[in-house]
Amino acid sequence: MTKARPIAAITVLAIFAMAALLITPLGAQQLSDRAKQIGGKFMCMCSCNQVLTECNHVGCSTSAAMLKELNQSLSRGNSEDAITQMFVQEFGTKVYAEPPKSGFSLVAWALPSIYLFVGTGVVIFVISRWRKRPVQQAASASGVPGISAEMLERARAQASRETQD
Amino acid sequence: MDVFGSFALVLAFVCAVYAFGGGIAAIITRHPLLIKSTRQAGITTCCLIFLATFSLEYLFFSDNFSAAYVVSHSNRDLSTFYKIAALWSGQEGSLLFWSFLLSIYVFSVLLTYRNKNGELMPYVGVVMAGVQIFFLTLNNFIENPFKALAVPGADGLMNYVARADGNGLTPLLQYPEMVIHPPNLYSGYTGFTIPFAFALGALLARYPGEKWIHLTRKWTMIAWMFQSMGILLGAHWAYAVLGWGGYWGWDPVENASLLPWLTGTAFLHSVMMQEKRGMMKVWNVWLVFCTFLLCILGTFLTRSGVVSSVHAFANSKIGNWFVGFMAITVLVCLGAYLKNRDYLASENQLDSIVSRESSFLFNNLILLVACVAVLSGTLFPVFSELLTGNRISVGAPFFNKVNIPLGLLLLFLTGVGPLLAWRKTSTESLKRNFGWPLAMGLVAGVIALVFGFRQFYSWICLILCVFVASTVLLEFYRGAKVIRARSGASFVASAVELTMRNTRRYGGYIVHMGMVFVFIGLAGAAFNRDIQKDMRQGDTMQIGPYNLVLQGFDTKPEKNYTAQRLLVEVLQDNKPTMMLYPEKRRFSTTEENGTMVAIRSTLKEDLYVVYAGTSPDSGLPVLHTYLNPLVKWIWFGGVVVVFGTLVALLPNRRTVLVLSGAQQPAAQPFVPGLTPSATMREGHD
Repeated sequence: MTKARPIAAITVLAIFAMAALLITPLGAQQLSDRAKQIGGKFMCMCSCNQVLTECNHVGCSTSAAMLKELNQSLSRGNSEDAITQMFVQEFGTKVYAEPPKSGFSLVAWALPSIYLFVGTGVVIFVISRWRKRPVQQAASASGVPGISAEMLERARAQASRETQD
Repeated sequence: MDVFGSFALVLAFVCAVYAFGGGIAAIITRHPLLIKSTRQAGITTCCLIFLATFSLEYLFFSDNFSAAYVVSHSNRDLSTFYKIAALWSGQEGSLLFWSFLLSIYVFSVLLTYRNKNGELMPYVGVVMAGVQIFFLTLNNFIENPFKALAVPGADGLMNYVARADGNGLTPLLQYPEMVIHPPNLYSGYTGFTIPFAFALGALLARYPGEKWIHLTRKWTMIAWMFQSMGILLGAHWAYAVLGWGGYWGWDPVENASLLPWLTGTAFLHSVMMQEKRGMMKVWNVWLVFCTFLLCILGTFLTRSGVVSSVHAFANSKIGNWFVGFMAITVLVCLGAYLKNRDYLASENQLDSIVSRESSFLFNNLILLVACVAVLSGTLFPVFSELLTGNRISVGAPFFNKVNIPLGLLLLFLTGVGPLLAWRKTSTESLKRNFGWPLAMGLVAGVIALVFGFRQFYSWICLILCVFVASTVLLEFYRGAKVIRARSGASFVASAVELTMRNTRRYGGYIVHMGMVFVFIGLAGAAFNRDIQKDMRQGDTMQIGPYNLVLQGFDTKPEKNYTAQRLLVEVLQDNKPTMMLYPEKRRFSTTEENGTMVAIRSTLKEDLYVVYAGTSPDSGLPVLHTYLNPLVKWIWFGGVVVVFGTLVALLPNRRTVLVLSGAQQPAAQPFVPGLTPSATMREGHD
């Protein structure tokens, strides 16, 4: 018990300190580059399969042209939605870096959560079934009061296996 | 030599067919001579594939430009080093290389178990031969690397010709890591064939007990280790060569390599449930089947053109063959399972939810969810096009949003799992094992907040990394302390002795520690910064604590390319630190450009400098500089993971069983310190 106290004290203190620090805002954060932020939502159309702002293939004229178009559009005061529309009209839906959260694309977003929920359900079902399962009684099944050397050896091996990390 | 190689491939195909057909006959008749001859046919198949591969490599080394494959992927000025890599740079050669690596495994298995496990090995031999037949079919009839160069003559007939020089190797592949990355990755892919063959063989043969798992453990670990190395080397290649400042772009081909790694990792954990408790037998068999199928699927994605990728080979009709092979494999696995599923009945019950068994179940759940999430994201563009007519891209932002929380959950389980006991964990044990690691993690979280850490996922990752590292170190500390107290050896010697007594357990902990380092490196990505600027000579660029001064340019002619270099002086706190030389390369034969990033790498951060071409507006060279924190931890973590796996592959150091009251042997310095349970563990790991 005496050993557990300093650990508990440190843990509680740490949780309080964390809560206090989390609600303390930092100084005004530097504004991110808007073009970079919006560009991160599109794919480069040079078929490199990279995000527009991350495509840096030597001589990639596609990303350069797309970024130029993006910058020009921003300087004209266009909104993010308008820019998105512009790129989708020009390149189709494959220009999205991530599927939009509407229509059929919602399926892409929903699938991982479905996997997780279904998987968790399966694990819980398996655990509950395993917990209900009767233990195999190897020794008593023999119906004899004595245990043979072979059975004892097998039981020892099993115990050894099960205590092994 | 091309005729020789071609002939060796045909003979290999014939031998593989005999090993397969004769193997089935041997299983039915159980004739000893037939069993022996099919095994020898399997070994001969491998030797012939070795000969074919060496023949193709000889064609590269001898600059034989009458072979179409050599013309397409090599030239006279290509260095010897890269002529090795040219072997797997194209579709045909890489498929032969696949067969070659698979043959190394098959050859080793057939020789290792030639006089052992007589009931099981004919089944294993048949499965391995079946896989070899598939790849030899591709090598011989679909993508033959020994095709002679031919051009149509005036009479309309094809005339065999020889070129004076070849087209050269793709510039992106002319980098040292490309000589070691594909062999590692392919060794991972092909290596999973062995546990698959044993699992399917054991199921078909109704081979008793968990012996097939004991037999395949080291093969699975070897394959997993190569897969891990392959993935990390590929990431490092992308980081150092492609010049986009990152190492993992969630490209379909990258994802394809991750899928079998995830299921393989799940198998390496869940297999312990079967070994210790006789549970999860069905699950383990299907995990092995899925891992193998995902290896084939990964190859299919890389080679079929189904998904677009910078890493993919040219489109070809080869994809149909892979689909056919996968369909047959699924049917065979399903048939074997349905016929013999009673053989896979579980033996034990779960005593408590707070137990090692439960943690493995949840570990497998997270790994599998990550796997199917990556798979469905990778294939979503294909399905969206099929179902709606619109191809919807799924890029890095989607994968990051989905996989980062899963990765953190997995990291948490990495810390929790090993500290839970089999069967049931008491509250007292939970307090004892988790108290300090939890406190350490939380303290690290507070310190991070004090220093301005406000990226949520990175912050959680840091807390979990400290938590997991503490649990691992505490395990070593406690074990080594006991040995030290009894033996008087130094702490380090005691820790080494502890590890050598149970290499699997402590090797596993080292692997976990390696993964912690990898996660630390990944957490750093949230703080990446970059700046791009057109630079005149003498111009400076500021990023973080570094000041970069463009001192000049030069041109460096090499044998196979000409490099244009920027001479960039790096000043840190206004003191000259070093010179960096980012390059653009112009390859003479292909007229293609390449890039070579200059990186100053420390454990704290990478200063990553790219010569990003010439500005079309100003005509000046463009310098793109990134400051990427903690990246080196990823590569270091990879080394630790490999080291841990190698430790886990070592046999345990023998100790003598000591029970209370038993007479102790004289010359065993560590024996008196061992508890009976500790010594009884020997031999079961």
